[in-house]
Amino acid sequence: MKLFDGTLLAMELRRSYKGVLIWTLAISASLVMVIAIYPLVIDMYAAIPPEFYDLMAAFGGIPDTIVEYYATEGAMMLQLFGSLFAALQGFGAINRDEREKTAESLYSLPLSRMTFYCTKLLRVTLEVVFLCGVTALFSYIGFLIIDEPIDYPPFILFSVLNTLVFLVFAWLCFAMAALLKPNQKPMAAIAIPFVLYVIYTIAMMTQNEVLDLLKYITPFTFADPVEILKTDFQLEWISMTVFLGLTVFGTVAGWKAFARREFTI
Amino acid sequence: MDVITSVNLKKYYGQARGLEDATLAVRAGEIYGFVGPNGSGKTTFIRILAGLIQSTSGSVSVLGKTPGPDSAAINKDIGYMPGESFYYPELKVRTVLSFFARERGCDDIRMRELAAILDLDLDKRIDALSFGNRKKVGIVASMLHRPQLLVLDEPTTGLDPLVQRIFLDLLREEQKRGTTVFLSSHNLTEVEKVCDRVALVKDGKILLVTTIADLVKQKHKRLVVASAADLVLPGLQKNGGNDRESYFEYRGETAPLLNLLAGANLTDVVIRDATLEEIFIGHYKRGNER
Repeated sequence: MKLFDGTLLAMELRRSYKGVLIWTLAISASLVMVIAIYPLVIDMYAAIPPEFYDLMAAFGGIPDTIVEYYATEGAMMLQLFGSLFAALQGFGAINRDEREKTAESLYSLPLSRMTFYCTKLLRVTLEVVFLCGVTALFSYIGFLIIDEPIDYPPFILFSVLNTLVFLVFAWLCFAMAALLKPNQKPMAAIAIPFVLYVIYTIAMMTQNEVLDLLKYITPFTFADPVEILKTDFQLEWISMTVFLGLTVFGTVAGWKAFARREFTI
Repeated sequence: MDVITSVNLKKYYGQARGLEDATLAVRAGEIYGFVGPNGSGKTTFIRILAGLIQSTSGSVSVLGKTPGPDSAAINKDIGYMPGESFYYPELKVRTVLSFFARERGCDDIRMRELAAILDLDLDKRIDALSFGNRKKVGIVASMLHRPQLLVLDEPTTGLDPLVQRIFLDLLREEQKRGTTVFLSSHNLTEVEKVCDRVALVKDGKILLVTTIADLVKQKHKRLVVASAADLVLPGLQKNGGNDRESYFEYRGETAPLLNLLAGANLTDVVIRDATLEEIFIGHYKRGNER
């Protein structure tokens, strides 16, 4: 049994490329803009009174370098919008055929359910990797524009971990579409990264020990760029292991449901 | 050899009945009509054949295999046309049909041939097509790969009479090549024209399986008589009327009927053949009474 079908993959990518390009370019342009204003922001930071330093620390502190600035401003924005994109792409891969009522024609083709599942998952993965690659490239262009020396290892690590977080959301929402009944609104998928991002923000902003534990229920924790810098590249292995495990479990559960899924629209 | 067999096939969607009890066999090379009113279970049965849904109980076999979620091996030899033809709306007809052709391992020659026969514009976007033209896309998609079995859910609904005729000719051509056709329909004229056998389904149960030739044999005369009088003759049965006219069904030789009418002093009389639809409705009524 073949896992992937090239013709189906090409058609799936063809159907979604416009949305992918719009999201990618919109996020990339925003990142370039955030990076481009860095020289102006340095002057603003210099004007901040010392009594505000503690408050700023909750948001990552005042950045000393372009990479720290990118971590507090650019990477966090990228995480929010990128995860929304990933969730929508993952959920839509199965849900769209049912919403647009094309499922009946599609699933009567001589392809196994496994081929459909894996090919659609591959499509989502490629789209997420594409977004991450292009946004990283545009960020790099942004650094070149302002001609700031950049420390590459943390920048590369952010990019890799961001990709991993987006894949977690994409795969989980893909599985969710397989587990839920047909005709669910894509808003259901957006809610997940949005809520988890809010939880992550709360956990990061507060010094409370109980609230701090919230960071373990959101995958943004293991790719938190500020924490990575603060802790000198120490990864949150617990968070990463939990969410990668959850993603694998969700994908398998999604497959079990998809293998029996009935297409009545 | 039977291409499709189903025995006591049942399908429930939770508490809702889809199909109650379907037992039938479709022979290789025949055109088989599946006729019934809305909600009778036609589409449910067809979706089970296409592997899109699974039966609750009973057994079904298509081309010697059991259809189900992993029907890839069966679907290779089936041309399936859903009742509602939805395809990728933002793409051109040519792109969509080429995709279906490649997935079925064939080139675009047959696609162009069928599009020309059905007068389908390949360069239009799917979302710019009328309902009837989307149906044509469904017909072409199902016939692209010259399948062994065509499973068509109400294929002519929405087609204009000219295209309906062309489509029925296409089915006959496919039959000559050895293709088996299973089609559901509301259109009894089409069933009479093209089908070899027909199954009547109501409330998820198959009421009758018969050949069109046998159904035609059941044809009888319908009489509308401009009188409230009762006429008595063996084979003549009154089935309604009012103060001014009476309705009769007659099964028997024509001469005794004409003799009776000639002596009945009637001001007007209409005699016509019962339509296939009236025969079906008679079966449905008897099904209800049972």
